[in-house]
Amino acid sequence: MAIEGVDLVKAAAFLGAGLSMGLGAIGPGVGEGMVAAKACEAIGKNSKEAGLLTRTMLVGQAVSESTGIYSLVVALLLLFVV
Amino acid sequence: MDPVTLTKLAANVGAGLCIGFGAVGAAIGEGYTAAEANLAVSRNPKISGDLFKNMLVGQAVAESASIFALVIAILLLFVDSPGSGEIKAAALFGAGLSMGFGAIGSGLGSGFPGGKACVGISRQPAVSSRLTTNMLIGSAVSQTPAIFSMVVALMLIFMDFSTQPLQPTWAALIGAGLSTGMAAIGSGIGGGLAAGASCDSIARQPRTAGQVTTTMLVGQAVAQTPSIFGLLVSFILMFKSFPAATSVSASMALLSAGICMGFGGIGPGIGNGMTAEGAVRWVARNIEHAGDLMRTMLVGQAVAQSTAIYAMVISLVLIFVV
Amino acid sequence: MGNLGQVHQLVVTLFGFNMVFNLEAIFMTWVVFGFLLLFGMLTTRKRDFVPRRFQIVGEMIVGQFYQLTEDALDRKGAEKYGPMICSLFLFMLLSNWLGIIPHLEEPTKDLNTPLALGLMGFVVAHYAGIKSKGFKAYAREYFQPMFFMMPLNVIGEMAKIVSISFRLFGNIMGGSIIILVVSHLTYSLLLPPLLNAFFGLFVGTIQAFVFTMLTVVYISVQIK
Repeated sequence: MAIEGVDLVKAAAFLGAGLSMGLGAIGPGVGEGMVAAKACEAIGKNSKEAGLLTRTMLVGQAVSESTGIYSLVVALLLLFVV
Repeated sequence: MDPVTLTKLAANVGAGLCIGFGAVGAAIGEGYTAAEANLAVSRNPKISGDLFKNMLVGQAVAESASIFALVIAILLLFVDSPGSGEIKAAALFGAGLSMGFGAIGSGLGSGFPGGKACVGISRQPAVSSRLTTNMLIGSAVSQTPAIFSMVVALMLIFMDFSTQPLQPTWAALIGAGLSTGMAAIGSGIGGGLAAGASCDSIARQPRTAGQVTTTMLVGQAVAQTPSIFGLLVSFILMFKSFPAATSVSASMALLSAGICMGFGGIGPGIGNGMTAEGAVRWVARNIEHAGDLMRTMLVGQAVAQSTAIYAMVISLVLIFVV
Repeated sequence: MGNLGQVHQLVVTLFGFNMVFNLEAIFMTWVVFGFLLLFGMLTTRKRDFVPRRFQIVGEMIVGQFYQLTEDALDRKGAEKYGPMICSLFLFMLLSNWLGIIPHLEEPTKDLNTPLALGLMGFVVAHYAGIKSKGFKAYAREYFQPMFFMMPLNVIGEMAKIVSISFRLFGNIMGGSIIILVVSHLTYSLLLPPLLNAFFGLFVGTIQAFVFTMLTVVYISVQIK
């Protein structure tokens, strides 16, 4: 099995895609979990505002998701375009 | 290097990594339990005998993750399993990685309910039996990711892969080990956080015990989903027969699939656990809105899991499309 | 221990399609049916107002699960879904416990059984959702909270089935593999009965309970 230049580039691209999505999933996971935990606490303290609090939680989680989406985009680019 | 030497090499290194990493989590978890038990005894020295017993029981359950790691390490060192060659070496190394990483999370996580239960008993001696039961249930459920890692490790050790081509199966097997092993870290810690909060809450509001336990179980179950995704990817990598590859990129793709799902399960596991922790704590304080809280917890956990789903999608793309 | 992954299968070829029957899982499931029917008969034989023996056990279990269902869904929901939830729990409990009896093994050790139960729960939940909300409101939920989340929501729903089935399967099969390997290592001295108690009885009960609870919660989330 001869390792050629093109092949090595492809192999590195795959490895990079995996690392990108893998490591990139850590942050948003923890962050969105913290948001949801605090939202539960807030609803526990003030159940009347449950609708507003849920909406705020979802918007906050969507914004925290953004870096996760960047990782996804880079991973897909590495897989299919490079 | 001839295959027999390589196999022995991989087995020894795998065993070392397995018990090395596996000892970390349980030690920290049991330390946390003991620390909280000390706090509890200082609060309420009269029932120190009870607290001591409770601490030992909690530590015993947290120990089980590293006992799994010990069993796998001994199997790797001493048991002659079917198959031979470089593929065998990869499989044994993957098994060591799987159990080694997998035991970290569950060991750490199972320490939380033990500690919180001890403090709870010192605060409310009357509910001590209920607290001990809850601690045992919570710890046992947080052991599930370690059990998954052990299943993958055992399969890698005992299944015969020698009929598969060397390239790219070696990468698939190591990837299978990494996938479940690393994804179990987050889920173990997350499940433990939820169990700890439930022990704490039952001590503070004993009347809400039933609802709190239910919320804890549901929250833990969802927090374990990333490790289940890891298990799924591992199974696919182990059982799918890949055609012989002539390029290094095919092997890298499979290894990368394992890395992707493995790392990808850490964050959402911990995040889901934190969500469950918050929900459980507040279900106890606001029992009338327990339904609302559980629903919010489930929605929040579902969104927090989305990066684990992305990671699984990329893993599956790496396995099937590329 | 080479027969770790071995499953006895019966392959019937019909019209060019291969139908594969996993014999062990099927026979063990029949054994579970037999036990459950026996339990049912013994419990309801003489229905006294003041219960005795078997009837007490039966009433306890049924009462607990009706209470659980009523907490999540309301009275009407509990009347509709209570029987299914109760039988789901009893079936899984007995299946997970079956491994303790020598020469019998758990039907839930085969991935097909938990997957079937999970699919059943999924179908019931979504059918309940469509019936109570109407198809348009049900479909619109997939586009919450943002339009492009639709594929993720769909995958999330699929992931729910995978997660509850694999959790039950992984725990039970893992337990049985661990017992097998440790019994082989220690020549069946000392450890295996303790392991059987832990993995078979304890973990089996908890996993059956978690599965049932999750099914109830999924139904309640859809109905809401």
